[in-house]
Amino acid sequence: MTKDIGFVTAKETAWCPGCGNFGILRALSRALEELELRPQDVLYVSGIGQAGKTPHYIAGNVLNTLHGRTLPTATGAKLANGDLTVFAIGGDGDGYAEGGNHFLHAIRKNVDITYLVHDNQVFGLTKGQASPRSDQGMVTGTTPAGVANEAFNPLATAITLNGGFVARSYAGDQQHLTRTIKAAVQHRGFALVDILQPCVTFNKINTYQYYRERVYDLDQDGSYDRTDRKAAWEKSWEWGDRIPIGILYQVERPTLADQYSGILTTPLVRQERDTAVVHALVESFKV
Amino acid sequence: MSNTFNIRIGGEAGQGLVSIGSILLRAIAREGWYLFAHQDYESRIRGGNNYFQIRLANEPIATWVDKLDLTVSLDRATIGRARKNLTEDSLVIYDPDVFRNEELPFTPGENYIALPFAQVTEELGQPRIMANAVAAGAIWAFLSDDFSVLADVLGELFGRRGAEIVEGNQLVAKAGFDRVQGLASKRQKPARPEHPAERILLSGNDALPLGALAAGLKFMSAYPMTPSTGVTEYISRNGRKASVVMEQAEDEISAINMAIGASFAGVRAMTATSGGGFALMTEALSLAGSAEIPIVVVNAQRPGPSTGLPTRTEQGDLTFAVAMSFGDFPRAVLAPGDVEEAFYLMGDAFNLAERYQMPVVVLSDQHLADSYTTVTPFSVDRVEIDRGKVVSGAEGGPDYLRYKLTEDGISPRLYPGFGDGLVISAGDEHDEKGHLTEDGEMRRKMVEKRMAKQKLVEEEALPPVICGVEDPELVLIGFGSTKGAIAEAVANLNERGTRAQGVHLPQVFPLPASLEEILTGPGEKYVVEGNASGQLQALIASRFAWKPTGCVRRYDGRPINACYILNELKGGGACD
Repeated sequence: MTKDIGFVTAKETAWCPGCGNFGILRALSRALEELELRPQDVLYVSGIGQAGKTPHYIAGNVLNTLHGRTLPTATGAKLANGDLTVFAIGGDGDGYAEGGNHFLHAIRKNVDITYLVHDNQVFGLTKGQASPRSDQGMVTGTTPAGVANEAFNPLATAITLNGGFVARSYAGDQQHLTRTIKAAVQHRGFALVDILQPCVTFNKINTYQYYRERVYDLDQDGSYDRTDRKAAWEKSWEWGDRIPIGILYQVERPTLADQYSGILTTPLVRQERDTAVVHALVESFKV
Repeated sequence: MSNTFNIRIGGEAGQGLVSIGSILLRAIAREGWYLFAHQDYESRIRGGNNYFQIRLANEPIATWVDKLDLTVSLDRATIGRARKNLTEDSLVIYDPDVFRNEELPFTPGENYIALPFAQVTEELGQPRIMANAVAAGAIWAFLSDDFSVLADVLGELFGRRGAEIVEGNQLVAKAGFDRVQGLASKRQKPARPEHPAERILLSGNDALPLGALAAGLKFMSAYPMTPSTGVTEYISRNGRKASVVMEQAEDEISAINMAIGASFAGVRAMTATSGGGFALMTEALSLAGSAEIPIVVVNAQRPGPSTGLPTRTEQGDLTFAVAMSFGDFPRAVLAPGDVEEAFYLMGDAFNLAERYQMPVVVLSDQHLADSYTTVTPFSVDRVEIDRGKVVSGAEGGPDYLRYKLTEDGISPRLYPGFGDGLVISAGDEHDEKGHLTEDGEMRRKMVEKRMAKQKLVEEEALPPVICGVEDPELVLIGFGSTKGAIAEAVANLNERGTRAQGVHLPQVFPLPASLEEILTGPGEKYVVEGNASGQLQALIASRFAWKPTGCVRRYDGRPINACYILNELKGGGACD
């Protein structure tokens, strides 16, 4: 059960007791409050999986889409109405498996949205199969001999593609997660927040205790330079005894909407058909 | 149809056939003729054998014919392919240099005229790339005594590339024109319309996106796929003028989901694709059906299965387009038969999609997409925009229910941010508010609400377009790009004493109830369609428990014309 705070609207959820999603829900609510956003101006586009249910428990507009398709759908909505603050929300299976191609291209396009990935390194809703983020050796329903494939590294991938805002946070650290989500929303362009989220039912490796012992804040001593792409890329491979959280890389690039600057001075949704222009286009076929 | 004149320009990909075609189309239309031009091309960038075929007439025409009056061959293969369509009056202009050191596969003489296109160009000090203008000039000599019209068109089409290029093209075109004058002056020029009307000249791939703009399109996303790419490129080129965002997606899945996202936010959105790409979009069509988000998809068909024949034509996606996706949800499938219908049906497609908050598929095909016709200029004002039930402000207050249960099944839309209420939309089964539910009773109500809309869509289905006599002994039924072919076959049959009627279906799903009158009315019925299994026939049969007398089908990747229909009906000899 969730406490009735801020943007949170749900009295009950479909999540397991102790799920990492509760921490994400609370931090998201705090971030929205602190950003002083109106729910009417916020849109959550969600994928399928336990993470995809988040928007139904928090105030805002919701578009619950297909498994893996959050990013293109959110891209279309943002281009149609740039006044909306748009979140894409899904799990690691949703975003890095089914939606892998969209992930690559959303980074390239640099659409101005915030992408929250509830990264629990396992498929939860289908009851415990390997995800692209599962650690090698992890035994799951589809990998009885242990995961053999190399784990997908979303941060290294995003930095390689010169993603404008590449961050990792942790569902068990409210302050850090709230701060990171706020920074992601304030960033102009595509902002990835990969959130380490313990799955208390199906992931017995990457637990709260596992993370508590390993996670450290990149910004703790103020020496980390998040504009150094090469160093950020190297940092993104740190995983094991120590796991960094924070904004690994940040750079401002032209956004997708900037490509349509002549058109999007007013949101598309507030523009009408220009009959004169269409009439002129018909005329252009005259011989 | 004795007053038509049919020209084929054939050559390899890369020899500038489309360029000659465009020049001649414009010059022919400007001189007052009506025309229908289609393209036959291979899936390659260079080489092979392609052609551009232009039929012109002194009255409106809507299809092509086999018999060639004038053939221009820039390569060797064109002559061989054209041979079966030549008559004793047909003319062939060929380049002797491509047959150098070889025995000619035909007898040169009055019907075969040698014109070394590249050599003529070089003799005039112009680059070989202009050789196609020599061919254009030679063709023009058989159509008109007035070279200036062609010169003007060359000036317009090459003007942007500078005076030197324009003058070079005009110079070599005039040489082509002069070289064949001896023969051309002896031939009668094709008859012209007595009162040429104002017309526009365009292809299906021009008319569909133009119709979308007239319908208030604001957002398009697409992934290139032949033969739909022309639609996408048209919006890419011209969208900005009309404040339309056209975003190229990483795949068709992304393309349709982006469009759905934009539509959810409150703008008219579409995508365009062909068979395989449409297959990738089907999951999202189901989302649009469940979440009740309007979306328009143009599927320009090409022969499948799989990648099939990428640059050729077929009507083989009909069953698939109607089935569309998994699960029950309302939908409509439209099938324009010519460029004029393509333009106006786009307005209907968007209105249907928004009135009933559902996917609408517009079935085009390569033949419609790539064929040019002269038509009366379209009226933008005739395209009415009906955005369906939409609320804003106070009506979209805190109590707003996105999926409110209503009598007609239509729940008013609110665009996010346009009221105090929140818009909760879901592909997962949901309650009236839009939140997820597994309640059996609510599920049943939501299914019934969605399917109630399908009934309304059927009630306002577009009626069949009828041509020919009212008391037929023979009825030809078709959809999509066979419209012109059926009309011409019907006219031909009536001329020869068979009382014939043509029935074109601009909407194939849901079929209009009024079709039943025709099916049970007088005359033998034949279903004409461009696929092997008889998909339209099966669709009609499943709706009306009906069986036709027979069928005419084509699935060799080539378009159906009147001659093909008549031959199939009579067992040959109809094209002479």
